[in-house]
Amino acid sequence: MKLLTDLYNYRELLKTNVKKEIRGKYKGSILGVLWSFFNPLLSVAVYAIVFPYIMHNENPNYLEFLVVGIIPWTFFTTTLSQGITSISANAGIIKKVYFPREVLPISVALSGFINFFISCIIILAFCIYGGLGVSWHILFVPIIALVQLFLSLGLILGLSAINIYVKDTEYIIPFIINLLFYGTPILFPASIFSEQKLITTLMNINPLTHIINAYRDVFMEHQIPELANMMYVIILSAVIFIIGLTIFRKLEKGFAEEV
Amino acid sequence: MNKENAIEIRNMSKQFKRVFDKPTTLKERLIFWSREKPEWHQVLKCINLDIRKGDTVALIGTNGSGKSTLLKLMTKILYANTGTIEVSGKLASLLELGAGFHPDFTGRENIYFNASIFGLTKAEIDNRVDEIIEFSELGSFIDNPVRTYSSGMYMRLAFSVAINVDAEILLIDEILSVGDQHFQDKCYAKLKELRDSEKTIVIVSHSLDMVQKICKRAIWIYKGEVKKDGNPKEVIEEYLEQVVLDHENVNQNKEFTKQECILTIESPLKGQKFHGVSSLEVIGWEVSNVMDTVVQVCLANQSIVEATRYKRADVLMHYQEACGGASYNRQAGWKCELNTTGLTGNQLIKVQVVDARYDVVLSEDEINITID
Repeated sequence: MKLLTDLYNYRELLKTNVKKEIRGKYKGSILGVLWSFFNPLLSVAVYAIVFPYIMHNENPNYLEFLVVGIIPWTFFTTTLSQGITSISANAGIIKKVYFPREVLPISVALSGFINFFISCIIILAFCIYGGLGVSWHILFVPIIALVQLFLSLGLILGLSAINIYVKDTEYIIPFIINLLFYGTPILFPASIFSEQKLITTLMNINPLTHIINAYRDVFMEHQIPELANMMYVIILSAVIFIIGLTIFRKLEKGFAEEV
Repeated sequence: MNKENAIEIRNMSKQFKRVFDKPTTLKERLIFWSREKPEWHQVLKCINLDIRKGDTVALIGTNGSGKSTLLKLMTKILYANTGTIEVSGKLASLLELGAGFHPDFTGRENIYFNASIFGLTKAEIDNRVDEIIEFSELGSFIDNPVRTYSSGMYMRLAFSVAINVDAEILLIDEILSVGDQHFQDKCYAKLKELRDSEKTIVIVSHSLDMVQKICKRAIWIYKGEVKKDGNPKEVIEEYLEQVVLDHENVNQNKEFTKQECILTIESPLKGQKFHGVSSLEVIGWEVSNVMDTVVQVCLANQSIVEATRYKRADVLMHYQEACGGASYNRQAGWKCELNTTGLTGNQLIKVQVVDARYDVVLSEDEINITID
């Protein structure tokens, strides 16, 4: 509850911070904000060119398959990598001014959230161009994105606070993200591992598997995401969010001294 | 919490962990995993303070005495180890100017960023933005990116935002020396205006002159404890005395190759005329970097009279501000009575400051007077 009143009182700070995250990141470059859309597109291009040679796949809509996987994945990774350093990067103002510290990771997550929605236009464009079309099922996108938002928010709240005390966190996480990339069906469908029990179980534990699958369900398959899986992700995200927030609350009092 | 109080501090102590940046090898780390006991540095010891609503209070003390830490504790940047700090009312702390400025955005956008950190909403900033721009005197530069500003312009903008944040309690840490004389005067006037309104202000400052002019109450923090609290004039007097005393201990055995001394005769004035007086009082002050000095006064080449010394807090205060250092002598003032019986016409008064230990003349001055 305290979080909500704090955020309401400092709503202007949250708003300007989100604006700064979105616009300030690429300020000074010629393409500016457009970079946040070119980045995922360029990585789609790389995988689309390289992967068919490495792996045999029969999916005729592989390009769309990639786009729907990579754009939500970019939302997750950029939020995570920027979120973890959000406290340490703002050491200057943390030492000098009081404001609810939660604003910093939350504005990173929100700016990723907004960027993702804008990027959805790219997904839709690919779906239409690829002949898949669009259906009313895209109404589920905001719900899935919201679940993803809370999942990443929980992670960055906890990790950004821990990172102040244990600097090593920000060096370990990129490695884990990299690992997770191959543990999530982004470049390939999960079904290719259907014979290896262990890998299938691990992939099923990974909430991002279900999130990416849900996006594919609504964008490509035009069907409602699998309910049981979604429930699992929602509960897991809620738990992670609460744990993250609790860790943050415990540690935030020492930020100004440790940062 | 008492309703009349804006800030209440009870039995509050704060300590910092001392960090030694010595490298430890992995082997050492693994072996002495939890054996290293952190060292603690006590910054504030058992502080009890009440700051009433509408008061203007100054915190004074030497560097490292814990003033700024106390301010940071009040604004919840730091948290106390023991005891409590309660604050009632909206609080804004101006500990650093330009917090949250982003160099690539324009001055106007940065006003919004900076003001939002202080917890203002968009509507509140909209109301103030013109006032802030006017106060900063940036004119058309306000729509240029902040990275193109000169440091003076940057500070002026930052200060204008800070001072126009409409909080009930303002905590200000040594930031009033911004810009040129004209802008400083403006800040000073604004501060006076804030003081005369309902606001509670806590200032940390080394500018004792300003403290005396603006504040109704001064709190002197010495080595983490409240040493004296009350009328600014008295507190400053005692504080300066302590500064000189601490200096004495440090400089006990230090020799200066270059001795410096400022001598002033305040009364009588140059060329002053006197009518049938039998005695004449000569008053002045002297500050020097010598521990023991003697002031000798001599009238009309008669015998030398040694002046008596007395405390002059105002002199020490100005000396500290103008020269940035403490004097070595607590008793800056001197005075003496001269016998003028039988003297008429133009007379010469000679004053000398002598180093008592080595009998060296540090400075001398003379004035002419006329006795009828």
